[in-house]
Amino acid sequence: MTSTARSGRRSTVDFPLGSWYAVAASEAVGRQPVAARVLDRRVVVYRDSRGGPVALEDRCCHSSYPLSLGRVEGDDIRCGYSGFVYGPDGKVVSVPTQEQVPVGAAVTAYPTKEQGGFVWIWPGVAGRAALRDLPPLPWLASPDWVTFGGSWVTRAHASLLQDNFADITHITHLDPVAAPPVLASQPPPITVTVSEMTVTFGRTYPAAPLQAWQAEVLEVPVDSEHEQREEGAFLAPGLWVDRWDIEVKDQGDRDGTKTLYFTHAITPVDDRSTAHAWRVSRNFAPSPAATGTMEPLLRDYYLKVRGALETIQDVVDTDGPRRDVTVRADAAKVAVRKIMRRLAAEDGARPA
Amino acid sequence: MGVTETVVREAELDLTIAAVDDVSEGVVAIDLVSPDGGELPSWTPGAHVDLLLGDDLVRQYSLSSDPADRTRWRIAVLLTPDSRGGSKRIHEMRAGDPVRVRGPRNHFVLAAAPAYEFVAGGIGITPILPMIAEAEASGARWRLHYGGRTRTSMAFVDELARYGDKVTLVPQDELGHLDLATILGAPSPETLVYCCGPTPLLDAVESTCSTWPSGALHLERFTAQEVDTSGDQPFTVVFQRSGIEAVVPADRSIFAVARDHDVTVLGSCLEGICGTCETEVLEGDVDHRDSVLDDDERESNEVMMICVSRCRGSRLVLDL
Repeated sequence: MTSTARSGRRSTVDFPLGSWYAVAASEAVGRQPVAARVLDRRVVVYRDSRGGPVALEDRCCHSSYPLSLGRVEGDDIRCGYSGFVYGPDGKVVSVPTQEQVPVGAAVTAYPTKEQGGFVWIWPGVAGRAALRDLPPLPWLASPDWVTFGGSWVTRAHASLLQDNFADITHITHLDPVAAPPVLASQPPPITVTVSEMTVTFGRTYPAAPLQAWQAEVLEVPVDSEHEQREEGAFLAPGLWVDRWDIEVKDQGDRDGTKTLYFTHAITPVDDRSTAHAWRVSRNFAPSPAATGTMEPLLRDYYLKVRGALETIQDVVDTDGPRRDVTVRADAAKVAVRKIMRRLAAEDGARPA
Repeated sequence: MGVTETVVREAELDLTIAAVDDVSEGVVAIDLVSPDGGELPSWTPGAHVDLLLGDDLVRQYSLSSDPADRTRWRIAVLLTPDSRGGSKRIHEMRAGDPVRVRGPRNHFVLAAAPAYEFVAGGIGITPILPMIAEAEASGARWRLHYGGRTRTSMAFVDELARYGDKVTLVPQDELGHLDLATILGAPSPETLVYCCGPTPLLDAVESTCSTWPSGALHLERFTAQEVDTSGDQPFTVVFQRSGIEAVVPADRSIFAVARDHDVTVLGSCLEGICGTCETEVLEGDVDHRDSVLDDDERESNEVMMICVSRCRGSRLVLDL
């Protein structure tokens, strides 16, 4: 079991290798190889001749040249320096200078999965991947939902992003514009539900006026009052989903539950940087104008989050890690850390 | 700014019994499904659930099905003559009956390793079944040594047949006890040992493995360890997140004291076997009395089970 409690967790929450991590957006992966870095591993991703994703260690076993600088041939990839050709299972299938393929010549092949518009890889023991599913993310693929989003690298340890998603109370301080006004006066209780692999945390807001942008895209009067429900979920170390339901009432045709999903794929690059891909999906107001209202607001909010986490990482790097004080509202964060410890144990990490 | 109340609970589900099968003498396997046919929460080998069988009748059972099958959970239950009520109640259940289930949770995690020795005694085979499926899938070397009273009393022998000679069946009436000295006599640095079964078997495996590297042995107990509580002393506990300091009297648990002060804590078995109340320790020296943590975890002093464990000194600070 890895240490989190004593040694200052900023640098010590280990992300398990045995888990699915988004390595690239689906549309970014094609017949041109793409380079990525996941948990300090070089990865090259491409599509085979039938369109299936392939992920290999991005380092030729003969020359150490990145395979991502080579080219895809059929289902295989050829190193742009040594000419070694690798199959989708990572094994060398031919070398340019001799008939015989060197025995055992191979790079690591990572199990892949394509779901929710992302290519995911499993950096852990390959045989275990088939036994671990990734929750379905139907709103990211269905035509009934409109999705926009963005992605970037946050210069902070991935556990800082986790802590951020597990804490739904900081929004009031970080971005009062995005936060429901009712939070300032009477925040509703948070209910945290813990299972072996997941943590969910939610709260129900009493009927109250919406944020201005919500009223605008829903085309309801700014002073009309509606109940809202927010539920965040830790689904895997690299996957968080927040769901936001707005109960529209007394508005004729527009009545009903309007749902927003906020999907976050977080992938540790190394212990100081994290790839963050975010998607906002909705089942109402499909017009580009509504996207035009929401997109800048949410981008601005997530950029503020990125800025805050990078600032925290700077403080930790400059002055050293320290154990943070937690409060009762951090129950989800504490539950997530418990699952992370467990997954690290499953990885086979042993006390030094 | 208002106060944000936080309530923490474990996932609870109202499930339906889809099938009850006699799998060996005295053992029934129960299939649990969601009444609406929906997916059940994900779990990993070694996980268990609580069955809420009535007032104060909560029992833990390992999941023995395939973790990749999200539509069905299977547990197996031995009818014990000295049953405290759980196994008798379950043996009376029929297909179609509703049952409330809490969890899953896992304190018997199968760590990745190149090789495993699995040792199962009797109904202790249940968590081991999905473990060997995972060991097989991951390409590890493994062996299962499975002991039972008689061949007909041993559950899931048919399912194990496909693994061939990786599985050794040892019915006691034919072959005597498991020969632990031979099975575990020579420590192997890359091998992990996983054992589940009756207390005497667990104790014997623990003592045979004393020469193995620390962290190699993993076992799961479903019976609380005997603890001498006669010398218990009061001590101070600080629930740091809640900002509360309280005294834990000699005859009460930290868990009970937390509840007294409306500090949200999760608990289930309240006898140190299910791991639900695991809590991070911030300061102080823990007197561990649970059956969940291994020696390394105890020595690290990072977490404790607050339903039974206490303090060696005068003060404990907990992340509650």
